[in-house]
Amino acid sequence: MAHALFLAALAALLLGAALAGIGEWRRREVAARAGAAALAMAWALEFVALTVRGVTDASVPLRNGAEYLLVLGWFVLTLHLFLWFRSGIRALALVLPPIAAVMVAAAHLLPSDARSGNGPGKIWFVFHTSIATAGMAALAVSFAMSVLFLIKDRALRARGGPKLLTRVPSLETVDRIGFQALMWGFPLLTIGIVTGMVYNTELHDRLWTWGFKEVFPVLAWGVFAVLLWARFARGVRGRRSAFLSIAGFGLGLLTLFGMVR
Amino acid sequence: MITLVGMNHRSAPLDLRERARIPEDELPAALAKLKEAAGVEEAVIVATCNRVELIARSARPGAANEIRAFLAAARGLELSEVERHVYDYEGLDAARHVFGVACGLDSMVLGEPQILGQVKRAYEIAREAGATGPVLDRLLQHVFAAAKRVRTSTGISRHAVSVAYAAATLARGIFDDLRGRSALLLGAGKMTELAARHLAGQGVSDLTITNRTYARAAVLADGLGGSAIPWDEFPAALARVDIVLTGTAAATPVVSRAQVRDVLRARRGKPLFIVDIAVPRDVEPEVRSLDGVYLYDIDDLQGVVDAGLDERRKAADEARRLLDLEVVAFDRWRQSVELGPTIAALRDRLHGVGREEIERFARRLSGMSPEHKAAVEELMRSAAPRVRMYREIFGLAEPHANARGTGEASEPGAADPPGDAPSRGPHRVIQGGRDT
Repeated sequence: MAHALFLAALAALLLGAALAGIGEWRRREVAARAGAAALAMAWALEFVALTVRGVTDASVPLRNGAEYLLVLGWFVLTLHLFLWFRSGIRALALVLPPIAAVMVAAAHLLPSDARSGNGPGKIWFVFHTSIATAGMAALAVSFAMSVLFLIKDRALRARGGPKLLTRVPSLETVDRIGFQALMWGFPLLTIGIVTGMVYNTELHDRLWTWGFKEVFPVLAWGVFAVLLWARFARGVRGRRSAFLSIAGFGLGLLTLFGMVR
Repeated sequence: MITLVGMNHRSAPLDLRERARIPEDELPAALAKLKEAAGVEEAVIVATCNRVELIARSARPGAANEIRAFLAAARGLELSEVERHVYDYEGLDAARHVFGVACGLDSMVLGEPQILGQVKRAYEIAREAGATGPVLDRLLQHVFAAAKRVRTSTGISRHAVSVAYAAATLARGIFDDLRGRSALLLGAGKMTELAARHLAGQGVSDLTITNRTYARAAVLADGLGGSAIPWDEFPAALARVDIVLTGTAAATPVVSRAQVRDVLRARRGKPLFIVDIAVPRDVEPEVRSLDGVYLYDIDDLQGVVDAGLDERRKAADEARRLLDLEVVAFDRWRQSVELGPTIAALRDRLHGVGREEIERFARRLSGMSPEHKAAVEELMRSAAPRVRMYREIFGLAEPHANARGTGEASEPGAADPPGDAPSRGPHRVIQGGRDT
């Protein structure tokens, strides 16, 4: 049953992302609203599916790369729906649903034989995985805003005259949302890394094992730390900030290699 | 019949438009006078700096002459001059013109949004003065709804069509909101003043003005409600403001890349929006490459204006297509309401014919029982055609609805009498009436 639910959620997500994106781009209100409804439906279906799987397997469904992407996509979708309804920034529909859709679709392509999470220190596993995943979802929003920032910045500086690109909100707006997301994502990532180390100790009696799951999150953490330091201490914003945020999120995603290997 | 007489920026010179404009406080009196003109039953007058539109509904066609004469008399103009410079439309064309005007399709700046508010205001004044009636009420309400739909679906008003507007549009790409922003003006010329006024109109509230001649900066600062600073203090001000507007007559750039780069640190990443409307340019073009600095020269702004005009023309074509549908919808309603009284009168007349016939035959019918008499009267009455048949005669009925014989909502002023009339009834009655 969970499998059918997951497939239904994926279908609703793909449909919703397409409708919401096209509706926003072509300014078709009906399509945009239908897209939002489909996305809300996808959110609910995915939530039920994850719950069913968690209850059946008596475990948090974050035991491998596939499940990680499913939950990460669901978190991103959650943030999208929250921001979309609350901030009224319509252009979010152009970036966040596609990101969520790619994550969830990729999850269906990855092998899903459960592996980790059944050994000792289960409570730390639950803490670590859910917090780290939520943090990555917030960082995904920051990533998306950075991409929008670069697109808008580039359009405003275009050779041969500026392009207005009215569908993308102002630079200040995307910078503000991206920064807020980062201010949530960075602490969560930090807690995720620390709890991961504790879990590691429970599992292997070692703090650090040089696996992908340790190296990439710490590298990403370092990039975000530099970004935040530059912003707070030196007032660095704009393109350089955006590049760092994109790099940090990219490094964070590479953690996946540690989950599917 | 709706008749419209008007003048706009194409038909009349500014001088005449100024004299023909009826001030708002004189509108109620003017409307009353216009309604005194023979046959005018409803009237709305739209009078702005760029146009005068007199919209009237009159019982008979050809009211345009009287409306022209009214306009000449009301404003003390030569009738011949008015006649040379006004246009007039009747019926559907008049309605189409009102739709176009309200959507800004007839405006000097295509798609400008203010005109809709002005038409709304004009309608309010006319309604409060009791000058409107069912037809113009319906027309203008239909126009307002259509204008809103057209604006959202074509986005006609979104595109910038002036340099000042283009600057504000670009600024909105950078800032959330222009309200409460600070701006620095370099140069106190006419162009900078115009652009500054536009920015102030968008909510930019903190204006700092500098000029090589301090006195001129001080005068402009007074006029705009800003503050003036000496010329050599402007580099420091660059660190503080959100927007810089330059328009000096200097032959070489007055703002260098180094000057802007030096304030970036102090700005702490706050974006800086620079508009350089001077020719030759006031700001070194290399400033463009700095992170967080957005520099636009007059060519950039003109490019935005050209693109905006293009977009507006495209949107206007689409708007006209949409309005054609709205005009047709309005026309359908208008025809039904205008024929309503005619239909009612025609039906009454036919009933009258029936009664006369009964009276004429009264002696021969005298031997009939009361029941039979009632039956004959009933027959005469029900033989008169039903409303749907009149609408068929006037070509108003939907053919398929008729073929199926479905019931239709009755039109205003023409209630359908109950009872089933035989379908060939009308011809017999009409013929019977003519024979006598």
